[in-house]
Amino acid sequence: MKKRLFYSWCLLLLLQSFSVKAQKSPPNWARIYAEELFHITEVMVTDVASPPVAARIYAYTTLGAYLTILDGNPKLRFPEFLETTQIPKPTYPLLNTEIQSHEFAAVYAMFLVGEIVMPSGYLLGKAKEKWIQRGLKEKMVSTKNLNTHLQLAQKTADFVLDLARKDGYVQLTAMTRYTPKEGDGNWYPTPPAYMAAVEPEWRTMKTFFLENLNAFQPAPMAPFDLTSGSSFRAQLEEVYKIGQTLTEEQKLIANFWDCNPFKVEFSGHMAIGVKKISPGGHWVGITGIAAEKARLSFAETAYIHALLAMTLHDSFVSCWKAKYDTNRIRPETVINQKLDSEWKPLLQTPPFPEYSSGHSVISSASAEVLTAYFGDHFDFVDTSEVYFGLPSRPFKSFFQAADEASISRLYGGIHFRDAIENGIDQGKRIGKHIAKKAQLAP
Amino acid sequence: MYSFLRKFLIAAYSFSSVVFEGTGQEYKSIFERVPAKKSGINFKNQLKEDQFNNILRYEYFYNGGGVAVGDLNNDGLDDIFFTGNMTGNKLYKNLGGLKFEDITKSSGIGGKDTWTTGVSMADVNGDGLLDIYVCYSGKKSPDSRRNELWINEGNFKFSEKAKAYGIDDPSNSTQGLFFDFDNDGDLDLYLLNHHIEVINELEFDRERNARHPYAGDKLFRNDGGQFTDISEQAGIKGSALGFGLAVIASDINQDGWMDLLVTNDYIEPDYLYINQGNGTFKDQLPQNLQHLSHFSMGADIADVNNDGLPDIFTLDMLPEDNERQKLLYGPENYEQYNLMIRRGFQHQLMRNMLHLNRGNESFSEIGQAAGISNTDWSWSALFFDANNDGNKDLFVTNGYYRDYTNRDFLKYKGDYYFKQAVAKEKADTLHLVTSMTSTPIHNYFFENQGNTRFKNISFTSGFSSKNFSSGAAFADLDNDGDLDLIINHLNEVSEIFENKSEKGPWLQIDLNYSEGNRFGIGTKVEVYSKDQIQYQEMQPVRGFQSSSTFRLHFGLGNQTQIDSIRIIWPNQEIYSLQNLTVNQRLSADYKPKGSKELSASASSPLFEKLPALLEFNPSLSAINDFKRQPLLLTMPSHIGPVMAAADLNSDGSPEVFLGGSKGTPARIYTWKEGAWEIYRGFRSSGDFTDAVVLMEDFNQDGAIDLFVGSGGYHDYLAYDEGLRDRLYLNDGTGVLVPQASFPKYLISTGTATVLDVNQDGAPDLFVGGKITPGRYPEIPESKILINDGKGNFSDQTSTYLKDAKIGMLTASVSQDLNGDGKDDLILVGEFMNPLALIQTEDGFKIQPEYFEPNLSGWWNTLKQVDLDGDGDLDLIAGNFGLNSQLKASETFPLRLYAADFDQNGSIDPIFECQVGDGYFPFASRDELLDQMVSMRSKFTDYASYSKAKVSDMFSIEELQKAQILEITTLESMYFENVNGKFQAKPLPFEAQYFPVYAIHVSDVNGDGIPDVILGGNQSQTRIRIGKIDAGFGLVMIGLGDGTFRPLTPSESGLVIKGDIKSILEINEEKNKSFIFAINQQPFQIFGLK
Repeated sequence: MKKRLFYSWCLLLLLQSFSVKAQKSPPNWARIYAEELFHITEVMVTDVASPPVAARIYAYTTLGAYLTILDGNPKLRFPEFLETTQIPKPTYPLLNTEIQSHEFAAVYAMFLVGEIVMPSGYLLGKAKEKWIQRGLKEKMVSTKNLNTHLQLAQKTADFVLDLARKDGYVQLTAMTRYTPKEGDGNWYPTPPAYMAAVEPEWRTMKTFFLENLNAFQPAPMAPFDLTSGSSFRAQLEEVYKIGQTLTEEQKLIANFWDCNPFKVEFSGHMAIGVKKISPGGHWVGITGIAAEKARLSFAETAYIHALLAMTLHDSFVSCWKAKYDTNRIRPETVINQKLDSEWKPLLQTPPFPEYSSGHSVISSASAEVLTAYFGDHFDFVDTSEVYFGLPSRPFKSFFQAADEASISRLYGGIHFRDAIENGIDQGKRIGKHIAKKAQLAP
Repeated sequence: MYSFLRKFLIAAYSFSSVVFEGTGQEYKSIFERVPAKKSGINFKNQLKEDQFNNILRYEYFYNGGGVAVGDLNNDGLDDIFFTGNMTGNKLYKNLGGLKFEDITKSSGIGGKDTWTTGVSMADVNGDGLLDIYVCYSGKKSPDSRRNELWINEGNFKFSEKAKAYGIDDPSNSTQGLFFDFDNDGDLDLYLLNHHIEVINELEFDRERNARHPYAGDKLFRNDGGQFTDISEQAGIKGSALGFGLAVIASDINQDGWMDLLVTNDYIEPDYLYINQGNGTFKDQLPQNLQHLSHFSMGADIADVNNDGLPDIFTLDMLPEDNERQKLLYGPENYEQYNLMIRRGFQHQLMRNMLHLNRGNESFSEIGQAAGISNTDWSWSALFFDANNDGNKDLFVTNGYYRDYTNRDFLKYKGDYYFKQAVAKEKADTLHLVTSMTSTPIHNYFFENQGNTRFKNISFTSGFSSKNFSSGAAFADLDNDGDLDLIINHLNEVSEIFENKSEKGPWLQIDLNYSEGNRFGIGTKVEVYSKDQIQYQEMQPVRGFQSSSTFRLHFGLGNQTQIDSIRIIWPNQEIYSLQNLTVNQRLSADYKPKGSKELSASASSPLFEKLPALLEFNPSLSAINDFKRQPLLLTMPSHIGPVMAAADLNSDGSPEVFLGGSKGTPARIYTWKEGAWEIYRGFRSSGDFTDAVVLMEDFNQDGAIDLFVGSGGYHDYLAYDEGLRDRLYLNDGTGVLVPQASFPKYLISTGTATVLDVNQDGAPDLFVGGKITPGRYPEIPESKILINDGKGNFSDQTSTYLKDAKIGMLTASVSQDLNGDGKDDLILVGEFMNPLALIQTEDGFKIQPEYFEPNLSGWWNTLKQVDLDGDGDLDLIAGNFGLNSQLKASETFPLRLYAADFDQNGSIDPIFECQVGDGYFPFASRDELLDQMVSMRSKFTDYASYSKAKVSDMFSIEELQKAQILEITTLESMYFENVNGKFQAKPLPFEAQYFPVYAIHVSDVNGDGIPDVILGGNQSQTRIRIGKIDAGFGLVMIGLGDGTFRPLTPSESGLVIKGDIKSILEINEEKNKSFIFAINQQPFQIFGLK
């Protein structure tokens, strides 16, 4: 009898738990987060945010979400990392009232930050409105406490925007513009649009983790030397030759990682700018895919996105410093001058100096941080750029993806080998430093 | 703010009343559309856009068709032929009274189902009947697009004989031009072609040197009725880069051989083929024209200023109004521009260019001063005298069916692909193209008001309707003594505009030349009446894809009698007629004379160029100030060289100081009979940019000393050691010793003047500050430096100049203005009114009564001299001139707001000026967004900025706090001293063609009356403004009453290309020499003949 009772109690419990599950399955927060963040990506694509600028926008928008979710005092797998950065933290709790859904407020804060830090941020109006409707419909918030949530979001957004105002960005337009340096081997704007150098003073931007940019310089590049047998000459010929013997797979890889936010295509004499997400946007996409695969909670999702985006920003500052320290010529320019006046790279050469390879630096740094968080051999299918006409592509690990992203620049004809190899090393040092500081890795 | 608005409104009202008064012209040009019902003209160039026929497949899909006019049956009435791109061509017989009959069918001349382009009429076989040559292009097979020659067999019967004549060419042709290039009496053919593929710019160098079989232009020589392609041997370029849109023949250099202008769309420069007289041509455009239209389209060549020389006009696509300009302008890319210059593509700018022929193979581009530079996407340009007032007016057709160049399209239409992908729908580029906006624009009609001034009277003359218009032609269709217009529209019925002007008397001439060229193509006609000459050439192919009447038409203005006409036949024989009555149609038959009249030899010029023998080039610098302050209009770094001369070592030969600039120290040379010898008693440093030099005996020891004011912008800090002014005292042996004790003040000096401030007989100094490097337009201090008589100066500014921040000063002179025995000051500068500073008990004070208000200008230089011989000192002041996109008036001052609006540490200088008929910020969206981050969210696309006013950019509070500067006139002026006050009078219009930076006064013709030489130009401008280079050193002969007669370059002998910054005269016993200091170039020296 006692036993029967126990069984029926168990059954009841089971039934109950089933019914709970049926009524209220926990939301797929990782996916929701990624979908909402994609609205910000869309605006960046429209605005043609350059790669470093895009990374800065990702850093502040994801920080907005992260700071909001911290208000709910969530349990995190790794220690909260903001203490280890160069930016302050707000005083918690942010409001002295009860909050029903920090997740709701966190996404909203992300939009509020995005509205201000992006030129066309007003385009988020629709996404904001939809998010409120969804929050009400799915009962994340009620009409009664909606305002409290919006206030919370505003509070974090204000905190983040204050940081953004003081990070050196508005000072950039007060500086003398870049003039290409005289002399052989120096960068000069490249065909077809000869766009002006992108963000030559980005080194002056505040970083989150890196205290001393000099500690993360890439190894020295091969000096400009066209005599046969020199390292530079050999690398030059490698780019030239590889461009003529590309396999279909190599072409696919180059295009898969192109990530050129604004490629000018001429159709007749009519020009159309074809847009894609930036390299940083691609790694934000991968982070979202991994978060969903690992079924992360909202707080974990917000944590890893913020960490990754800040890593991207620091990596870009470090890489851009190297670019304008070295002012190295692009392969296209020197090949057109010395080897073949009509050679064209597979990818359009982006408008900034060559050394080191931005994709190599930021991809390697991202892989370090993501591996420290998700673990080695975390395989995933990369669908980040399906919207931009690219196929999905499986990877066995973050490092496999990063290595492929790096070498794709050689296939694409826009980088020399040393900019890639030394860029990978530069990125890994940055990524390891951040993982260690954030206490993800020993 | 309120009072500011009020001022604005009052000014606006007074402006509109001026406009109404201004329309009371003597002869009013009026054209009236003739309804199709009345005329019987119902030709329509209708396009059908589909998968096979669209702009993506054929670049020139919207270029439109052409018109040819001529009397095909010799009944005294001009008939009309229209071409349609995709529709059949049409021939209309003129029935008189502006009624026409479509006789296309009976004449069998409808053409073929191939993309049809330009048309011309010419009597190719010399039988006295005009034939018709039709050009074809498009994407179909070469065979399908062979051009047609319709030989006129009389009675409107034609047979197609292109093959028989050897001109059934399969090129992608735009236009055929028949002319006699070798003066052998028959008509040859220049075939203008265009490419139909995009050339990747990496292929430029290869393509430029290769001849393309279908894109390259061709020259065919007529060998007794058989045409032979002699392009290569004749030096005709045939590259695939040629996108030829117009060809015009004219004897540009007046040597009796027909020359050619070919305009090219896109990157390839136009060609100015000068006929070498030996069967070949040479493209001398780079030597003759200093800058040109970029996307050159239609063109015309005509003598627009009645000086007997043909002038060149090329069309481009710069809109008149602000909105369309703002939608069009992208970022300025100095690196790309310089790269294209280095690769030999020359200075090309997107606007119409009027190259005024000054003789001597020199041309002044004055399209903006003339007021005809902005007519949007323009196709045909026709100069003809519409109201018979003796001046050729200008008609321009325009319009492009899709807003192709809209920047939002480039930047944001790419989102379409992305959005389609997100929506999981297929992207269709053709859909994208056909969804492009379409903006019809009215055609332009400009009244020639004489002296190279044109007035836009499009609306009052009958051209207010908006459409897309392509080819056009003029002809007196109804034989009533004025020229009517025929216009081929796109997707609308073609129209005839009847000339209903209140018009003056006229003369029409039908030429009858010899066999082979019956209609006398290439004949020149000069009509003389009183002191006026009019010049025309028989050359019916003009404008775009069209040819106009073969009857020469002259308007005669107020003349009731023609003194004489001179007809210069193609073989250079001259036929003269005297004393003709007006209002007649004259037939001029050629009668062989066997002799040729010599034309009067030109009088010898005043100046001759002397060998310079000096390589010293101290002002060569590639510094780009727009990198430091991206919103500036011109670069303040490029100011020198300055010059001065004196005998420093008392050896009888003058020493000449040649100012340096950052990186190149100044030098002094001894000048001995035109030879230069470096002078050892002086040394300067490359830290300085010399802005002003004074040679004076400062320590009163009988030896001349030297003061050098340091200016410049460069990379100087706002207060930089390199800005220090320097005093060098002569040790008596000619060695100039720098004085360390000279007051140290760090301002970028703009001017300095010697005067006796404290009446102690010792020369004191006024030093005017011009600019604060990196912080334009912040006004620096000026200085009063008092000399103790021994060359020891002390800074006594606080005593004598209490308000020392006067303005951005560029020039100063001193005279006693109020007769109190004390030296006063007259100052000019950028964005300021000329100022009189009078010495009072309380130091120098500005007293406004000496100059009229509203003379605020961009003053660069100032000279004082008695020009009217009344014993007092008058002034001449150099301003920015009228030949740029910048306009300034009392109603619409060129205004400059400056503040650190976004509080990031940099000054944001915002220029506001008149664009079209409104008042708008000058900066393009990209320029503005590059200066201020906050504007990026304010103007998220080009459309939102295209209508923005300054008040949409900033709040009233922000604007109130800003520094506000204004310019109300850009004209260089003569200021007559009338009883101690100065009355402003603009210098002649020729002096407004360029910014004046140097004024030199000297009696160059020896008549005892002072003459004036003006030097200037400004090459250091924004790309969008472009080089202003119409000045060659302008000599103005003084007439003794304060008025001047400007000399042409051929009269004066001065043809100096470049930015003249200073002029120095050196007088030896008999010889007068003039040294011209030119920025970026070595010095040039001229002597008086």
